[in-house]
Amino acid sequence: MPDFTIDELMVVCIARQVVDGEVLAQGLATPLVVAGYLLAQATHAPNCASASAIGQGLCFDRAPLGVARIEELWLGKSVMHVGFVAAVAELLPRFHLKEFFRPGQVDAAGNFNNIAFGESYERPRMRLPGTGGIPDVTTHSNNIYLYVPRHSRVTFVEKLDFVSGLGHSPARTRGHGARYLISDLGQFDWVNGRMRLTSYHPEVDIQRIQAKTGFELEIAPDVHETPPPTAEEVRLLREEIDPLGVRRLETLGGTARRDLLREILAIEGVL
Amino acid sequence: MASNQLMTLAEAAELIQDGMTIGLGGTTLYRRPVALVRELLRRPTPPRDLTLLCFTAGYESDLLVGAGLVKATRTCYFGLEIFGLAPMFTEAANRGAIQIIEETEASIAMGMRAKLAGVGFMPSFAWMGTDMMRLRPDIKTIQDPYSDETLVAFPAVDCDVAVIHALVADRRGNARLNKNYGVDRELAMVASSIIITAETIVDKLEADVDIPALVTNAVVHAPYGAWPTSCYPHYPVGGGELLRYIDACTSQAFDTYRSEMTAETWGYSPQIME
Repeated sequence: MPDFTIDELMVVCIARQVVDGEVLAQGLATPLVVAGYLLAQATHAPNCASASAIGQGLCFDRAPLGVARIEELWLGKSVMHVGFVAAVAELLPRFHLKEFFRPGQVDAAGNFNNIAFGESYERPRMRLPGTGGIPDVTTHSNNIYLYVPRHSRVTFVEKLDFVSGLGHSPARTRGHGARYLISDLGQFDWVNGRMRLTSYHPEVDIQRIQAKTGFELEIAPDVHETPPPTAEEVRLLREEIDPLGVRRLETLGGTARRDLLREILAIEGVL
Repeated sequence: MASNQLMTLAEAAELIQDGMTIGLGGTTLYRRPVALVRELLRRPTPPRDLTLLCFTAGYESDLLVGAGLVKATRTCYFGLEIFGLAPMFTEAANRGAIQIIEETEASIAMGMRAKLAGVGFMPSFAWMGTDMMRLRPDIKTIQDPYSDETLVAFPAVDCDVAVIHALVADRRGNARLNKNYGVDRELAMVASSIIITAETIVDKLEADVDIPALVTNAVVHAPYGAWPTSCYPHYPVGGGELLRYIDACTSQAFDTYRSEMTAETWGYSPQIME
């Protein structure tokens, strides 16, 4: 088994959810997901296309991840650009793109919140950046996937403060609730509308996952340890897909995150 | 459509008046009209009570919020992407000091399509079943007359002045963008008047125009006018400057940053990039 870090395991799990030939949507500031898509395209899914928020284009090609120079991937390599109005009104409804969303809060039914924390909308405990296209896509898509870089009771809650992403909800008129969730502790699916643990990552036990989840977890009968990345997957990730380590910005916090950001910007020549 | 609409940043900035809805082109950290925003902050009397209309809002909008010029925001995302939260917006929102008109990609996109089609709304399946309708009590549903499905009727979007940064523009006001369009081409058609700032001004653009002079009211030569947001392929995101901004805000020094960035000497320095 090769040495790997938790961000690398998450990227590999995301890549394994990609089916060859799919159209993959990428949201704002989601490098773990982009790294997963690029890894899938470099291995078992060479016929996928990516649709990106930056540039609103369709891209069949690959380029390494970046921060300040990320447009070199999405503007330099995309084959067409439609703009956001057509992307939202035409492209997204037409192709049920596979997309990984990062919830601010998520409940057992896979409903999620990216609006604000706190009961008061006018005076929230913490305003979040906003919902982007989440209330638009999750209400009709059949391909909703979720990821949580830091699993905690702040994110996995019994009751959401606001519902902006629609899960396995009786209010649903189209589409399907979330199919899958990956966190830094394990992988999950939904059965009978409730989140269920299907695998725990190496060195993580089920009790710890339950303790960090704010609702009762269902456990799959065949729950098992998450298969580790292969040596080749780790090599591709470190050497070709994300040599700067942009993906790690999603798993780190505080000073460590800031230091890495400065390091990346220095290499990119924009510090 | 005048044959020459070229003016200075200061002249163009005067087009923005108290209480207006202003649309800022580009998306989050990419091709934002920073030069014009900076000019608003430099005005002896900056405009007040603005409503910001942005598909996504970033550094340029956070400056306006921090300076106290913004009454309300209409955007589906207000943040600095991988750099983190937009500090002044987040702070103002948490203490209820700013009105947030909750938008999503669909409410803005369909609202623009309604405005351009000359109708009051566009229907969509977006939002159904979420809390969005509760947060936007002004928005109504409609029954599809053919299928009976209940849909959301997104109202037409209005905008007084749009400001869009272009790669190149001509004196009449034709402008060419890069391919990271955002909603700029539609915003230019929706807004009552348009200010184009551009990296380069030429006498006449012959082809491949994204915004026609028909809708333009002002053209300003503003080299590096998007920095520290990017203007692909000319310059990437000025990440170091964004970090300096965030640091200033988190140490309660927005006003110091504002003085520095409105000083003559502030701006893109090519040696930083090498």
